[in-house]
Amino acid sequence: MYEFLQYHVRDAMTVDPIAISPKAKLHEAEDLFEIHDFNGVPVVNDQRQLLGMLTKFDLLKAFRFDSHTLVPHYNAIMEQLVETVMTCDPVAVSPQLPLSRLLQKLVEMRTKSLPVIEEGNLLIGIISRQDVLKALRRSTVQREILTPRDRAS
Amino acid sequence: MTTLLYTHSACQEHDTGFGHPECAARLTAILNVLGTAPFAALEWRDPPKATSEQLTHIHSQSHLERILGQVPKQGHYAIDGDTIISPSSGEAALRAAGAVCAAVDAVLGREAHNAFCAIRPPGHHAEPSQAMGFCLFNNVAIGAAHARAAHALQRVAVIDFDVHHGNGTQVAFEHDPGYFYASIHQAHIYPGTGRREERGIGNIVNVPLSANSGSAELCQGWNQKIAPALRQFQPELILISAGFDAHHMDPLAEINLSEDDYAWLTEEILAVAADCCEGRVISVLEGGYNLSALASSVAIHVKTLMAAPATT
Ligand SMILES: [Zn+2]
Repeated sequence: MYEFLQYHVRDAMTVDPIAISPKAKLHEAEDLFEIHDFNGVPVVNDQRQLLGMLTKFDLLKAFRFDSHTLVPHYNAIMEQLVETVMTCDPVAVSPQLPLSRLLQKLVEMRTKSLPVIEEGNLLIGIISRQDVLKALRRSTVQREILTPRDRAS
Repeated sequence: MTTLLYTHSACQEHDTGFGHPECAARLTAILNVLGTAPFAALEWRDPPKATSEQLTHIHSQSHLERILGQVPKQGHYAIDGDTIISPSSGEAALRAAGAVCAAVDAVLGREAHNAFCAIRPPGHHAEPSQAMGFCLFNNVAIGAAHARAAHALQRVAVIDFDVHHGNGTQVAFEHDPGYFYASIHQAHIYPGTGRREERGIGNIVNVPLSANSGSAELCQGWNQKIAPALRQFQPELILISAGFDAHHMDPLAEINLSEDDYAWLTEEILAVAADCCEGRVISVLEGGYNLSALASSVAIHVKTLMAAPATT
């Protein structure tokens, strides 16, 4: 576990993730979710500056009962723009954040992934629960092989 | 005690298209239950079509002409995304409104104490000049207006326990002191009206419930808001907009009532009717989209109507 404490977000994140435009339609986002098994996708402008996050949860929310129709209409809702349902001003993290802190954040927020940004709000990565689990495993497996002592402590 | 059951085959032929929740199977499920032995004492009647005089107590002439003119010769026509009609829809809508008027005549004519109208399309979203939310003509409002016009009643009340607010009935009644309208419904869902502050001229009582409310909130709304105002109004006739989509198994909302709650509320309404208007109650089907929950809820509602206490 000690090695895990040395990790930073940049060591575990997915670099240059697929992102979507705020002007894309919800069905395009749904296609991404379908193909890549993403839970959420960052929303960026042409300069790849982060504007928001669109998650499966946001899509579900678009189908909640509302005052406009008795029955939510699938095609009409899926024609809406990403920017109408995305989460604006999303929590984003720096690549230098210790991974142990990122883990706490994911748990506290009960969120599945967070975008990683550099100066200028530029999107450079995304980090998910799975990425952190992988890093945990990698850090302990390596240590157990290299330093059996660690097991006793 | 006689309870009348009004229904018509045209109401089952009103076809809203594949997969639509407001479907003919709703009525089939209800009538299957009401056809069993425990309901043998029900007196089944075929309703006539409502006359244009009856309809225009509530709706504009242009609304009637537009709706009946939109009925397609074949296939379907979408009035809006929710409200779909087919070749039989015109007759179904006329029989539905006609059923409530006929029930009014029968109950006020002392042929029976109360009646249930197993009809579709439903009515409470239909405004004087606007069909919407599965509804073409406002059946219950048309019946209430008929009671006043043809039977010279001074005060007619409608109690609406459908999970959606009856915007159409409220609009039809809100300026007229001869009507009382009370609705208990889920807040913030379709059609968006029915806020507590909407009181008409003091003759409207809205009890919006938040999602996941149930028995306790129903009791509180009835006991504290609706029942006292209804008794004060001293109705000469009570109509019920009986929607069963506040049932905990219904797919269109998030209120958690059970069959027992419907029995209780029906008894409460009957008790007020017994005190104020010799037990005269006419219940009119509105929503309810889980077929088995709908059938069992209607069954207990009608059973309660049939067991109404004797009045003098
Ligand atoms: Zn309803």
